[in-house]
Amino acid sequence: MTSYQLALQQLTDSALPTGAFAHSLGFESYIERGLVRDEGSFGEWLGAFVGQQLVYSDGLALRFLYEGVDVGLLDGVLSAQLLAREVREASLKMGGRLLEIGGEVFPSFELEEYRGLVRAGSAGGHQPLAFGVIARSLGVPFEAALAAYVFATVTSLTQNAVRAIPLGQNAGQRVLRQAHDVVAAAIKDVARLCWDDFGAVSPGLEISQMRHERQRARMFMS
Amino acid sequence: MVSSIDSSPWGNVGPDSTLALGEGPVRGRLELGVSVRGGRSVASRQFHEGALRVLRPHYLDRSGQLCYVMVNPGGAYLGADLFLIDVEVEAGAELLLTTQSATKVYRTPGSFAEQRMNIRLGEGSRLELMPDQLIAYREASYRQNSHISLHPTSSLVMAEVVTPGWSPDGASFKYEEVRLRNEIWVEDPNGAKLLALDNLLLRPPLNDVTGMGFMEGFSHVGSLVVVDPRVDQALADDLARIAEDFAAYTGVSLTMTIAGSTGLVLRSLSNSTEELNHLLGACTGVLRERWYGQAPLNLRKY
Repeated sequence: MTSYQLALQQLTDSALPTGAFAHSLGFESYIERGLVRDEGSFGEWLGAFVGQQLVYSDGLALRFLYEGVDVGLLDGVLSAQLLAREVREASLKMGGRLLEIGGEVFPSFELEEYRGLVRAGSAGGHQPLAFGVIARSLGVPFEAALAAYVFATVTSLTQNAVRAIPLGQNAGQRVLRQAHDVVAAAIKDVARLCWDDFGAVSPGLEISQMRHERQRARMFMS
Repeated sequence: MVSSIDSSPWGNVGPDSTLALGEGPVRGRLELGVSVRGGRSVASRQFHEGALRVLRPHYLDRSGQLCYVMVNPGGAYLGADLFLIDVEVEAGAELLLTTQSATKVYRTPGSFAEQRMNIRLGEGSRLELMPDQLIAYREASYRQNSHISLHPTSSLVMAEVVTPGWSPDGASFKYEEVRLRNEIWVEDPNGAKLLALDNLLLRPPLNDVTGMGFMEGFSHVGSLVVVDPRVDQALADDLARIAEDFAAYTGVSLTMTIAGSTGLVLRSLSNSTEELNHLLGACTGVLRERWYGQAPLNLRKY
């Protein structure tokens, strides 16, 4: 067993109380339009979300953090590039919880430094950066951290889809198994992209996330 | 004063930008400065060389807002072409900057055409940036990198439309890459802060850009970015309501607020340039009327 295995499992457990159950990150708009309605169509959305958005925002943020780019700088760029307000707020909300939990169970100098920036108002406190700072302080290698982060996001979104569409529990597990390839591809993409790709958006995903603000019947905050 | 177009507020803390590397020869360079004299905005600096020019600046109405029309006499962007545009709107000045025709990017084998734009808006100044649509042809790669810095009291409205391009066999999305990257910075007592990074990246050979999540079955994408101290949720809701009257699939959202200045981003998918132009025109028309008492823009009649 590696020194960080249990810590990483605890951090990426879907029971970690960051509030991920309250966010669809845009797929609820697709449900309303009837485009996400079953196992296959949710899997398609999930593939697009991970490959075309999560890679370019959270995935790259995590990589740059591991490469030593200043966390305050990355925090500012994330706040500026998440143009759909609800998605930006989701990242800050879940990031804030993660910073708080991390402070209690995985304290480190680096984490206190990031929390200090957030307290002083010079950083927002984003989820991938909070995760990255903690994972790094625990000695989790970059690729393991990235895979765990992306798959944790995939898991919580799938659990939310199981409730919202709804899907059967076994269907949810099949979606997760199929997403293994999506996560593997995401890890490759994060490695080959560059600074100018950071924050690139897919218009359809982004518009759906923006439209969610004005959706009448909804069960998610984003 | 000729400011450096390559200067980056990332300073030496940010990672290297590949866009900062000059790849090809500078094919065209344009520098404009606008300031206020006698209650009207006037050209205070104008320089051009190579394949970029401007028509003689003029006024479209009595508001005092100066209008400049950019012209690319070569008609198109080709491989490795680099175009540099530097615009300064000084305190209190108002500029409308547009193009004479669509920006066309032809084949750029093994390379890319690039436009780098550096814009500075002074205190209480105003810029409307309304270029014609971008058309990327088969095997074209194009990068547009705009760096805009604003005073918290300045006002920016920019609209843009990207078409699916054109190829001899009639298929669309045959270009290699279109990258439209806008960095919008707002001056703050503690230095410039990044308000919005709008990074639109279309790479048809790498993923299916037509489907769910990307173009959603549509062919054209349009964007409107407004940064102004008067931007608020009520305005975002008004523009979202206007968009409901169009068949285009549209979202509107607000950026964070820096030094009292907030950004609004409207993104829209459609199957026609015309519809997107009508939608963007309806939205900018509301801003012109509400904030300046001006009529909607009708550039095509000139």
